[in-house]
Amino acid sequence: MVAFGPVSRLWWVVLLAMAVLSCHGRAAPTSALARVRAAGVLRWGGDIQGGEPYVYEDSEHGGRLTGFEVDLANALARELGVRAQFVQNDWSALIPTRERGTFDMALNGLEVTPQRVGRVRFTRPYYIFGARLMARRDDASVQPSLASLRGRRVGTLANSFSSELLRNVAEIVPYEGVEEPYIDLVQGRTDAVLLDDIIATRYGEPKPELRVVGDLADGYYSIAVRPAEAELQQALDQALGRLVARGELERILRRGNIWNDRQRRLAVWSDGDQRQMLGTAVAGQHFGWSHLVLFAKGALITLRLSILAMALAIPLGLALAVLRLYGPALLSRLAGAYVELYRGTPVLLQLYVLYYGLAPVLKLGAFPAAVLGLGMNYAAYEAEVYRAGIQAVPRGQMEAALSLGMSLPLALRRVVLPQAFRLALPSVTNDFIALLKDSSLVSVITVVELTKQMTITSVDIRSWALPGALCALMYFLMSYPLSLLAQRLEARLARS
Amino acid sequence: MIEVHELRKVYGERTILGGITATFEKGQVVALVGPSGGGKSTLLRCLNGLESFDGGRIAVGGDVLIPGGARVNRAALYRVRQRVGMVFQQWNLFAHRTALGNVIEAPVHVKKLPLAQAAQRGRELLARVGLSHREGAYPHEMSGGEQQRVAIARALAMDPEVLLLDEPTSALDPERVGEVLDVLGALAADGLTMLIVTHEMRFAREVSHRTLVLHGGQIIEEGPSKEVIDDPKHERTRAFLGLDRK
Repeated sequence: MVAFGPVSRLWWVVLLAMAVLSCHGRAAPTSALARVRAAGVLRWGGDIQGGEPYVYEDSEHGGRLTGFEVDLANALARELGVRAQFVQNDWSALIPTRERGTFDMALNGLEVTPQRVGRVRFTRPYYIFGARLMARRDDASVQPSLASLRGRRVGTLANSFSSELLRNVAEIVPYEGVEEPYIDLVQGRTDAVLLDDIIATRYGEPKPELRVVGDLADGYYSIAVRPAEAELQQALDQALGRLVARGELERILRRGNIWNDRQRRLAVWSDGDQRQMLGTAVAGQHFGWSHLVLFAKGALITLRLSILAMALAIPLGLALAVLRLYGPALLSRLAGAYVELYRGTPVLLQLYVLYYGLAPVLKLGAFPAAVLGLGMNYAAYEAEVYRAGIQAVPRGQMEAALSLGMSLPLALRRVVLPQAFRLALPSVTNDFIALLKDSSLVSVITVVELTKQMTITSVDIRSWALPGALCALMYFLMSYPLSLLAQRLEARLARS
Repeated sequence: MIEVHELRKVYGERTILGGITATFEKGQVVALVGPSGGGKSTLLRCLNGLESFDGGRIAVGGDVLIPGGARVNRAALYRVRQRVGMVFQQWNLFAHRTALGNVIEAPVHVKKLPLAQAAQRGRELLARVGLSHREGAYPHEMSGGEQQRVAIARALAMDPEVLLLDEPTSALDPERVGEVLDVLGALAADGLTMLIVTHEMRFAREVSHRTLVLHGGQIIEEGPSKEVIDDPKHERTRAFLGLDRK
């Protein structure tokens, strides 16, 4: 940490804040089981974005919560003599949120990985899946072995069992949803997808362009509770055991259409199997130079992305503002519609549409799509900033220019816009700072920038505090000089 | 030089110009006087197309403007504006350019004059309005009188055949009025064609050849300046000039 010399005081303030935040959840009652029984509610965390068949909203039944994990949670709660209550939570944050105590257990296709074993307490598994490799039908180079993936681009869910298998083998393209990896595979943006067979069956295999290469390893879905809550874990284990023995788990899995021969092992699950599944918990890595290098790379991508997006947003926004104010009626209205559309819809949605929605007609790489998506979104905001700037230039300036025989475009270019831009500059600088931080949204289209790097690293080292603080610090170091610049520009504007 | 025929302009119910017909000769200085709201400034702004009008026609040299504004007149407008210079009540100097920058902007970008040539001519013009020492000053660093003199130099830089001046001294501090009138007097003596909207009756009387009195969108009186100002025929003119109170 010597490297942070000049800013070490700030560093400690941030670190302290993170530490206070992360301590918050540890002040829970001694027995989780007693708490569950007392409340009469077993709160379980999951993400309905994971979709069918795990947990999802059944559109045919008024959005009722459906899925084999809903059935399982209800059955477990019944066994404990309580009622199950679902808590929606972003999947990638299930474990950190679990530590805060927002829910009693995480039950949502959580695969047992060495990283997670070190961080939570797993029950016996309720499902055994295969890590299924899929490739394009016309690509014979992908073989059913990890070795054939060496150096290839392989899509998977971030921080998943499959991504652990691929670590140090393939170039991992991390996704946050289950449909997108297969869309990108069809588009040729990746060479293969390695994901749980349940996901492959539903989202990959229906695509005629894709083929199943094979299953590379067995993995397990288990319920996660906090490390200190052995009592709750044992109660859940016993409840699961009873569900297996009565054949109820099999009925639940059959209803979810996911029963297969692999699941027979669940009936004869032994302590030895459990030990083998958990393996030896990998001790959390220490935050080291290699992580720092990755963070620097992430920051560089964030910076490059933001600069390029702004370089697109400024001229596009300028064109929109000029068209809106001076263009012919039709173009003026179109420019207005553009601004309202892009300001009135979430940028996340725009990125999705651009990258996945338009994929059949516009095959963009993830980074160009991110630049284009953010740039087009920010152009709408820039257009409004320039419009305000242009309208703040006194009318007499335009009249004087016209009276000297200038055409409208020349008068705009030589007289009005230079003054408008000067008025708009502080706002533009502020927008760039906002863009710098909004750029973290592009991780939904697989760009690994600073924030995404932070979440990946925090899983590796089992802690959010240090990566979080470092991530915050890096954003701060990038935005603070801009902030100072904006202040100086504003001060200069106020003087003249 | 400029012929105005039956020029009409209305704002909704209000008639601003009610059929103005007038001719402005080359080499003449004409003063437009009259009470506020009489249509003087609007007439001036119509002459170089900053305002559109609803009836009649304006001919400047061979270029003709008709009702309908920039959409129907675009080509004629650009030609007219290059023949007719304009000086505004509020100067309207380009705020982001120096005095010299203001003067050479249009010659360089409209007339495509080489920069060196434009700058040389710009300096001559600044000298002519007595501001050689201020060529590097920005508008916000200059007094109103200085700014107005730069504005006059800027308009002259396009070699206009006619210079329109819209109350060029109304927004100035009283002690700054003289320096601008001196410049205008010198220009008149050089034979520049000018059309001045003004409330400076002494200036109008001494410098302008002809005076037009506008009231309610009509020319109610016109003639040689000394006659009109010293002995107006129309009672409205007499009231405006304060002669009836004697």
